[in-house]
Amino acid sequence: MSSALHKAIALILSADAELLNILSVTARMSLQSSLIALLLGVPIGIWLGACRFPGRGALVVVNRTLMGMPPVVCGLLFYMLFSGVGPFRHMKLLFTVKIMVMAQVVLITPIVVGNMETYVAGIAPNLRETAKGLGLGGFKTFALLCNECLYPIISAYLLAFGRSIAEVGAVSMVGGAIAWKTNVMTTAIMQYTNRGNFSLGIALGMILLALSLMVNIVISGLQRRLSR
Amino acid sequence: MKKRISLLLVAVMLLGLAACGAAKPAETQAPAPTAAPTEAPTEAPTEAALVVDTCILKEADDKMLNTYTLLAVNPDAPFTDADGNPVSDVAVNTAGADALIHWLLTREALDMAGDYGVAEYGEHLFYVKDDAPVYTGDIAPATEETKVIRLSTTTSVNDSGLLGYLLPVFESTYGYTVEVQSAGTGKAINAAKFGNADLILVHSKSQEEAFVEEGFARTVDGFESERISFIYNYFVLCGPSADPAGVKDCASVLDAFAAIADGKYTFVSRGDASGTHTKELSLWPESLGITKEAESFANYTDWYVSANAGMGACLVMAEEMGAYILTDKATFLTFVANDGVME
Repeated sequence: MSSALHKAIALILSADAELLNILSVTARMSLQSSLIALLLGVPIGIWLGACRFPGRGALVVVNRTLMGMPPVVCGLLFYMLFSGVGPFRHMKLLFTVKIMVMAQVVLITPIVVGNMETYVAGIAPNLRETAKGLGLGGFKTFALLCNECLYPIISAYLLAFGRSIAEVGAVSMVGGAIAWKTNVMTTAIMQYTNRGNFSLGIALGMILLALSLMVNIVISGLQRRLSR
Repeated sequence: MKKRISLLLVAVMLLGLAACGAAKPAETQAPAPTAAPTEAPTEAPTEAALVVDTCILKEADDKMLNTYTLLAVNPDAPFTDADGNPVSDVAVNTAGADALIHWLLTREALDMAGDYGVAEYGEHLFYVKDDAPVYTGDIAPATEETKVIRLSTTTSVNDSGLLGYLLPVFESTYGYTVEVQSAGTGKAINAAKFGNADLILVHSKSQEEAFVEEGFARTVDGFESERISFIYNYFVLCGPSADPAGVKDCASVLDAFAAIADGKYTFVSRGDASGTHTKELSLWPESLGITKEAESFANYTDWYVSANAGMGACLVMAEEMGAYILTDKATFLTFVANDGVME
């Protein structure tokens, strides 16, 4: 373990070009996919949590099932669809960062939806009464709800980001772990493990966690300030 | 009520813990009888033990020849989608594949491949085949449409660093970008069948011939056959230096495999339809009936470990278990040279 720590530090200090490329691909992929998942998931989650309509229960159950979708299955699905023989072959997206983002959005959005739905369903009845008492209209009620949700939205984002940066099953299938193009931290760790180079794998893992820590510190600070 | 629920939860958790605790010793006991005689009292499994005990026990047997072959993918191959429906317009970069194959067969590239690793490991990792076709014609430089070449290959040529050594020269001279996906030969061939590769570089004759037979391969202009074999090395049978099965003294590699099976000494199999796995399956005594199907070795699980992992990971596993293993020599030499890697 201590040699892995040394390797991690040496790797960062050496500013190895391949490592920098892996880091930038990882950052691009996980920031894009978590942001898109947030933009899609938050409105759906608030809608599912706050509104009452027939079929809502079924939608919630479907969403909760999708939250447990194995990444490999998601990756396999996209691999089949965008393969050279798949129905979407003309888009030529297989082994690109774009398709990795798409697969991850499919994986992560249900998690954002589920989290928002749980939170909103908890506060919606009280909020609705308050709004009625104040005589607020539909739009203002919605604005009030969104204001109340700031804290869990940021939490949901961190969850999405964490899932995205740590995920390996889907991105290794659709990305192919191609050096200089689609190799991200997790697939690189897999590669080193397959080669038997465990300590370099751990070293990369340490760098990944350190990055995740930094993102979490910044966003958690933001969260506290915004929701004060 | 709440109290009762929490009590119940605690009880369930305790039960779970107890179950895990009970299961663990059983798990660790299982491999012990096989591991004990093989590992001998040489060294306790300390974390600091960095010296690789696994060593080459059997090599340079004719049966162990490991030939690498290039195959260009045929754009008019009978591609089918996941449901088995024919697909006709699969995009394959034939010009790029031709250029890469041409370059790999130039005298310059062949010499590079033959010399690779000699300085670093003191031994040849790959040899150039005497009858390898040498290309002397022109190589088409990249154009906008042909500049990305998708090469699907086996892990050994990638993990040993050969491609990382050769390809940059090709890329910088002719302006191509080679996207390398590496997996076991079985997966590498499947990627091509799914239309996700322009050429493949693999090492399993039977699987290559099936690929050609099914019409997926294409004869590159100026070459005689679809299969272009150009470099080779040897598979080696490795195991603990104490060699409890007496493999070293066996007359042939077939006898060695029979001795391992007879004594039920632990053997780590790749189990992933790779070229190495295919070779290993062909070396067991036929009476055992070991094939790639899981049922075929269901009765041998006390000594036959089907790992379903890459070569490096399997070597680490064999080292930990004091097991025998079949590996290509290039990966093994790289593994030994990095002997600090599996702490």
